[in-house]
This record gives sequence, C-alpha cells and structure tokens, in this order.
Amino acid sequence: MTNPPMDEALPEGVAEEMFGRMAVTRAIERLMAKHTREERFSGWWHPGEGQEAAGIGATAALQRDDYLWYQGRGCSWAIGKGMAPGPILGDLLGKTTGATGGKGGGVPHWADYSIGVMGEGATLGSVFPLAGGSALASKIRKDGRVSLADFGDGTSARGTFHETLVHAAAWKLPLIYFCENNGLLVGTRLEAVNPTVNIADYAAGYHIPGITVDGQDAAAVYAATRYAVDRARAGKGPTLIEAKVVRRLGHYAGDPQHYRRPDEFDDYRDPLDVLAARLSGNTAARLIEEADAEVSAAYAEALAAPSPDASILDRNLYHG
Amino acid sequence: MADGNDTQLMGYNAAMGLALLEEMRRDETIFVLGQGVATGGWFGAEKGLVAEFGTDRVIDSGISEAFEAGLAAGAAIAGMKPVVNMGFGDFALIAGDEIYHKLAKWRYMHGLDVPMTAVIIFPIGTMGGAGPEHSSCTEVLGMHFPGLKVVVPSSATDAKGLMKAALREPNPVLFHSVQSLGWSRGEVPLDPEFIIPLGQAAIRRAGRQMTIITYGSMVPRAMEAAERLAAEGIDAEIIDLRTLVPLDWDTVLASVRKTHRAMVVHEAARTAGPGAEIAAQIQERAFFDLEGPILRVAARDVPLPQHSDLEAMCIPSVDDIAAAARKLIET
Repeated sequence: MTNPPMDEALPEGVAEEMFGRMAVTRAIERLMAKHTREERFSGWWHPGEGQEAAGIGATAALQRDDYLWYQGRGCSWAIGKGMAPGPILGDLLGKTTGATGGKGGGVPHWADYSIGVMGEGATLGSVFPLAGGSALASKIRKDGRVSLADFGDGTSARGTFHETLVHAAAWKLPLIYFCENNGLLVGTRLEAVNPTVNIADYAAGYHIPGITVDGQDAAAVYAATRYAVDRARAGKGPTLIEAKVVRRLGHYAGDPQHYRRPDEFDDYRDPLDVLAARLSGNTAARLIEEADAEVSAAYAEALAAPSPDASILDRNLYHG
Repeated sequence: MADGNDTQLMGYNAAMGLALLEEMRRDETIFVLGQGVATGGWFGAEKGLVAEFGTDRVIDSGISEAFEAGLAAGAAIAGMKPVVNMGFGDFALIAGDEIYHKLAKWRYMHGLDVPMTAVIIFPIGTMGGAGPEHSSCTEVLGMHFPGLKVVVPSSATDAKGLMKAALREPNPVLFHSVQSLGWSRGEVPLDPEFIIPLGQAAIRRAGRQMTIITYGSMVPRAMEAAERLAAEGIDAEIIDLRTLVPLDWDTVLASVRKTHRAMVVHEAARTAGPGAEIAAQIQERAFFDLEGPILRVAARDVPLPQHSDLEAMCIPSVDDIAAAARKLIET
C-alpha cells in the first residue's frame, strides 16, 4: 500500500518542542532502567526506549482537548500530551504524588481528562472500543475533537481491532488508529502470527487510508498524524497509521531477551539523534540538560513522597 | 399532561422504554445503542425512540458485543451517558473485558473521582426455549466485580423506576431485564420524577414465619407460592431485592431476625449463584437468630435446554418454592 500525499513540512517550533518532550521521556527511561536495576521494584515497568518518536510525534499533531488512549510501554504519549514528570514518576515509584494517588506502577494508569489523557487499559489492545466511544461522543456532540487509539502491532489480532474499525469506518468517526509496530509480541515475531508485517495493509479492507511511516523519525510521525487529524476533523472518518519502531529494550525491565537476533540493532537509529539533526546549534544539548534537571528533581521528589496507606483501597470505586 | 398520580397499564419492556424516552428528553447526553435498537429493539424497549431522537442518538450496531460495551465505557469516560442493549445477558461473556474490567475498574485504577454514567441492558433468563446460550442469568457476575451496580426489576413499575434511577446514577449500571416478564403488565406511574432508588428492597408480602428473599422472575412465583402456603397456615414474608449491588442488607436482616427462617429463590444457577452470597452473609450476621439452615431454590446446574418442556424442569416452579417452604417451616 502506498501512502497518501502528506504535507511533510514541520511548522515553526514544533521540532524543538518535540525534542524537549522526547528528552524528558528519555530521561525518565534512563532513570527507570537504573531504578529497576538497583531497587526492589514491583511495578512491572515496560521500557519504551527507542519508540519515543511515535508518541512524541503523534501527540504534537493533536490539540489539547483531543482524546488520547495509549498503550502501556514507556511514557512518551503521556509526556507528549502534556503530563508533567512528577505524577508519572510518582506512580512508577508507587507514591501518593502519582497521577493515581499511589495505585499505579509500571503498567501505567496515568489519566488527566483536562488534557485529554484518558488512560490505559492493561489488557493489551483494550483501547479500540474505548477510543471508538469517545469518537462517537464527539460525533454526537459535534465538538470537533479527535480520538487517537495507540496500540502495539500484536494487538491488531484482537477482535475489537476489527469490530471498532468496521463501525468507525461506516460511521466516519473522528478516530485515528495508531500502531507502534516493533515487530515483537513480547518475544514472538509478528510474522509468526500475522499474514503481513505491515499493519497498515489492513486499512484497505475498511476503505480507509493506511499509512506506514518511519517511527524513528518524529517529524514523519507528525506529518502522518496531522494528515489523519485533518481528515478526522473534516468528517472523513478514520485513518490507520503504522509507525515502524524499534523496541530497544526488553518487554519488561529485566527481560533476558533470549529471542533477540545478533544483528538486530546493527542499523539502529536513535529517535533523539534523528530529531536532533533538525535542530540548530546547541539546542539539542540544551534541551537534554533541561530535561535531565527537570526529571532528576521530579525523581527526588517522588522518592521523598509517602507511599499510600490502606485507605486508598476503597477510593474511587463508586462516585457520589 | 400527567399529574403526580396518573398511571398507565403497560408492559415491562415498554415501561423501560418510557423511562428511556423521558430521560432522553431531559438529558441530551443520553444515547441508545445496540443491535436492532433503531428499529424498536428486539424486545420492544426502544420502540418509538428513533422517531423522536433520530439515528444520531438511537444507533444500530453490528454484531459486536465487545465493541458495544467498550464503546459505552469510552463514551461514558468522555462524558456521555450511553445506554447499550446487549440483546441477551449471555453476551456479557463476549464483552467480559469491556464490562468487568473497563466499565467496572477504569476510574478506580486511574484514581479518578468523577461521575461515569453507563447503562448496560442485559435481558436475562428463560423465555421458552431460547436455549443454553440465550437463557442464562448472568447477574451474579456483576456482584463479583466491584465497581458496578446491579439491577433486576420484577415488575413493569420497577422497570421504569429503576431505569430512571440507573440513568441518573453516576456509576455504571448493569440493568438486567427479565425475559419472562417482558410482556407482563402493570400500572406504571407517568410522573417523570417517579424514581426507585438503587439499593432499596421491597417487602412484597409481610409475614411472620419465614423470609423468602428473591428478585426478578421469581417474585411473582414466590408470591403465588405464599398464597398457597397461607391457605395451609404458613405465613411467609417476601422480599424483592430489586438491586443486588447495592444489596439492601438492612431489610433482609431485619426480616430474618423477625421470622427466624430464610430461603433464597432465584432463576440463576444454584452453584455460586447470588443465593450463595446472600445465605453466607445472613449466617455470618444473624446466625443466632436462625431456627434452621438457609435454603436455596434455584435453577438446576445444567446448561438450560432448548426444548421448552425440559427448560421448565430446570427453573424453580411455584410448587418447588412451596415445597421448600414446607421443609423450612419444619426446622
């Protein structure tokens, strides 16, 4: 399948903004790698290093009130949509300063409805009908919002992938299916269980555009997402975007990764390096320094924060 | 214009539909979705809705229960008030992740103190040979996954009043409509503010010698059994729970402390059915008020037969309830 024509130009300031957020994400990644190595951490952290350009590039093309339903690897989607490192690290360390108040962990449940971060379902691929629901809400209310469902390649085998896209295409819902295709289902190769390694191929069956982009390049991801956003807002229905990404680390922190091939990272391009090439002078170095300082401070704050007590167990079960 | 006391004789499913109609007029964030709802609904509850609200708010879906329930969760999180008719209670299992994880747990696991209104309609129980995959009583599942409210009306009046409460409830509600009562008729209040709050059981018959705790399809059968028993000099109190979550323990325990004998009657399967929890809690909280064991009268533990004669053998009859009551009075 060939991509539709897209506007590749990056608006003023977007590259810098994306790099700043990617640097924050990477700083959290590095810190979590260290934290899970050194401490007794039970949070099931699923590292996202290598895949950051997907979440950062896509969210840069969304508006503040657009609905984001993300999958649980890394934290680039939440950071990209505007969450601060504090509530994210608070959850990763199991502290009351976390977005969930201390219920969270490495399978993240960060939500902030005020900026369209709607949350994450830990049964993989649960985003499809949920995003369909917010997209239908927008269509009924005519509020102009777009819903984005971010998912991994493995979950394209889920029944709700099809169920939701069938309806979204028929009803022309303002929905974006965004696949982060890292080619691995935990340790199983995608080709072992799928008839194609290109998830975007499926779009043809739904009569919607399918786009395959270089997921290491935030600018390419941005362009593809902007195309899908414009289409959705114009009432033309869903788009399926597939970003080819590289999962640099294990499925979970501590994964021995026996399934890796020896040459797997020979052509690896770090998404920070790819984006840095679009910045001038020492901008990249400055943004990395700022991000490191911000994340270090948030980490220190999270370490010092209290753990939740049993009173949290009954909280938020029912409203009112 | 209806005044506060006007009623109209109507069917159970139609009464649910009247509640939907009134609330959709009142609140434009409510929409109805499901297989066949835009053509009036498989069992008539949605009749006439599309004519007034159009296909923007009365939406037919394909055969895709997981999508329908997940869509309800997503739309509710995004601030709408979805009503999804799942067609049959059995189909809860097709949409298990979406109902028992997403609807039940979303706010809890994200630590959010926000309202989330969603009504999932599950028509449950036997209807004369619908077979093993279209006759199950699945309400116990809602009791087992905290975060949901669970409703089972036993009359047309309650079908309206409880649906009204469900549509104003800031939590997801599993609304189990009873197939065998779908066309039973009753005098239904026309007052748009007639609401039956969730969590309030009704004492359908006052009695002194035993408490029969029941709900849904077994309420009329228990009432008939009680009339027979009365002729034999056995005075039974009948409690219609109306909602299983929250469950009105105060009414149940007060009755048991008065009568000293209890039995639970439901159409759901016996093993690990709602009666198991109800009996367990009564003995935990009122053991020394009891004269004897708490009995259960429930469906036989088999897949419900397609053959309607065989089906009838699996579901508690008036005779079964009366026989259990006679045994209970001997303890």
